[in-house]
Amino acid sequence: MPDKTILAAAGVDVGTEYVKAVVVAEDGHVLGRAVLPARGYFQACAYEVLAAALDDAQVAEADLSAIGATGFAMNSLPRATLTATEASCHAVGAFHHFGRPMTLVDIGGRDARVIHVDEAGHRVDSCGVRRCATGLGNFLMFAARHLDVSSSRLQELAAAAERGVPVTSYCSVFSASEVLERLRDGAGLEEVARGCMDSIAERIVEIGGFRDPLVACGGVVEYFPSVVEAFQELAGMPVHTVPEPIYTGALGAALKVLAMSPSHDAGALKEQIR
Amino acid sequence: MNPIQRATAGDAAGHHAQSEIRSAALLRQVMAEYYREFGEPGDGRAAPVAWCTSVGPAELLRALGFRVFFPENHGAMLGAARTANRYMPLAHGQGYSPDICSYLTSDIGACLAGETPLSSFGLSATPRPDVLVFNTNQCRDVREWFEWYGRRWNVPVIGVRSPRSLETVTDDDVDAIAKQILLLIPTLEAVAGTRLDGARLAEAVRLSRECSDLWEACLYTASRRPAPFTFFDATIHMGPAVVLRGAEAACRYYRVLLAELEERVGQRIGAVPSEAFRLYWEGMPIWGRLRSLSTLFTGFRTSVVASTYCNSWIFADLDPADPIRSMARSSLELFIVRSEGAKEAYIARMVRLYDVDGIVFHDCRTCPNNTNTRYGMPRRLGERLGIPTLVLEGDVNDLRCFSDEQSRTNVEGFIEQLADARLSGVSR
Repeated sequence: MPDKTILAAAGVDVGTEYVKAVVVAEDGHVLGRAVLPARGYFQACAYEVLAAALDDAQVAEADLSAIGATGFAMNSLPRATLTATEASCHAVGAFHHFGRPMTLVDIGGRDARVIHVDEAGHRVDSCGVRRCATGLGNFLMFAARHLDVSSSRLQELAAAAERGVPVTSYCSVFSASEVLERLRDGAGLEEVARGCMDSIAERIVEIGGFRDPLVACGGVVEYFPSVVEAFQELAGMPVHTVPEPIYTGALGAALKVLAMSPSHDAGALKEQIR
Repeated sequence: MNPIQRATAGDAAGHHAQSEIRSAALLRQVMAEYYREFGEPGDGRAAPVAWCTSVGPAELLRALGFRVFFPENHGAMLGAARTANRYMPLAHGQGYSPDICSYLTSDIGACLAGETPLSSFGLSATPRPDVLVFNTNQCRDVREWFEWYGRRWNVPVIGVRSPRSLETVTDDDVDAIAKQILLLIPTLEAVAGTRLDGARLAEAVRLSRECSDLWEACLYTASRRPAPFTFFDATIHMGPAVVLRGAEAACRYYRVLLAELEERVGQRIGAVPSEAFRLYWEGMPIWGRLRSLSTLFTGFRTSVVASTYCNSWIFADLDPADPIRSMARSSLELFIVRSEGAKEAYIARMVRLYDVDGIVFHDCRTCPNNTNTRYGMPRRLGERLGIPTLVLEGDVNDLRCFSDEQSRTNVEGFIEQLADARLSGVSR
């Protein structure tokens, strides 16, 4: 069990598909993490996942110096001492791992976003997918349901496909209809699964602004690495993946709130993160 | 506390906030009088009615004694009342695509439904036109829109066909438009039943220029810190400049508004409490979300201080000594008529003049001609000026094209980016 005097902070990323929490020590290393499906009642989910992460870290909530919140429903965590946008938290989380400027692509349930991160780990700017492509990560869950497979099986099917069938619409809803059309026309499950992943990669490539090194994070990257493969192919440059990509935002929220803590004095970390 | 709050803590000492602009009461009165003067069909109208596009030859129409109605103003009212989405499907059912101007489809739809927000001014319908006069300097859609009413009421549809994407406005360009304006006169005289009086035209142009100068002065007060009113306020207060151009009533109103805005500047009364960030708005308003966007930006202590849209009713070239040619030049000098290079130079000037921290571009789904996001301008301008830009996807009237949640997320991230830059001492 960790030393009782340790100063820890937590970050919670309340997303549309999953709710994630990370607990970090004062030097920024991860003590524990947890992820749960989002079930609509965000506040309960946020506290449930925080409790699970604390349990994983073997840290009592009373020992937390602060809680940072980010994500779609970040305001559903009234005890949060800081709320910050996904773009800024993902930038901090990814920089913690890579420690250099990068073009970060966060692919989540609701949104995909290209974030430029500078040499100090600061988000310089960010740009999301077009409005019609909102929900592109959720769209994969839809596809899994209509292929009557789990999300992990969807990834296995996509990985086994030689090529995908075209799923070309800009719009997540129309893309969902296209999936049904392809199935009706006799396409194999593997081809359809791969076509869905290709479709998401195309929407991300449309955002543009990619500069080397290109780094990917987010829930879609965690569960559907075939999306990253397709994206890498379309972008024509290597795409690196953040370790434990689904936790990047929660980690960033925890590190940001830790750096703000008045009792915190982890010099380099505080300099690195605002 | 979030990063935006931290970045702005302690700023703006000595600023006071007062969102209510007193002149709004007079504005309501001026606009109500304008609408009521049209009267009801069959009331035995004192004057013929001309419909005019927003930057059409309104001065000429006033000089000939027409009451001038601007259907784009009506379209904006439908958007602001959030009734547009009820009417647009009726126009779509007539074969007018959901992808064309939603002012057009909501206005025609409202006509088909037999409803209008003008009912609050005692009108049961938009005033029936005796003639419709367009200028395609803004888009093709205005002509198509007027043609629909021309067929419906069997009245003449005449207009000016303008060149687009001008790098510079040459004398030849002005001559070509001036000739087209002159060609309108015989038809307008026949409908009005009177001859054009040169002195009346010069007077209408003089009043229009005075209105323009006063409106420009009002807008310019927002170059001060804190800005006494915002883009969202200005979209409402611009009403007289749009519909009463060439009439003394508009000048009277702007003298009152200008005095109040200067008073607010003197007393450091800002429209946004403790103004911390200043932005420029490029593109059409999102009429159905004016209030919520204003509240959203205000919550981030951000004042949207200037816009291309509100500036588009500044006609600095109008000259009563040369009415027709100066009207022609004014219609071509407009931002919307100009090339990408000329537009970028204009926005760069505004960014300096109003000392803004960033630019918000509205990608207006059904108004490609007044959308400047689709050929790389936000990225080019951001790099050239060293300030961040944000693109909001939406529409002037069709709220199906706007996502509250996505827009809120994007605005929040954008302001947070400005706050981060301020915290780290990054300056442009």
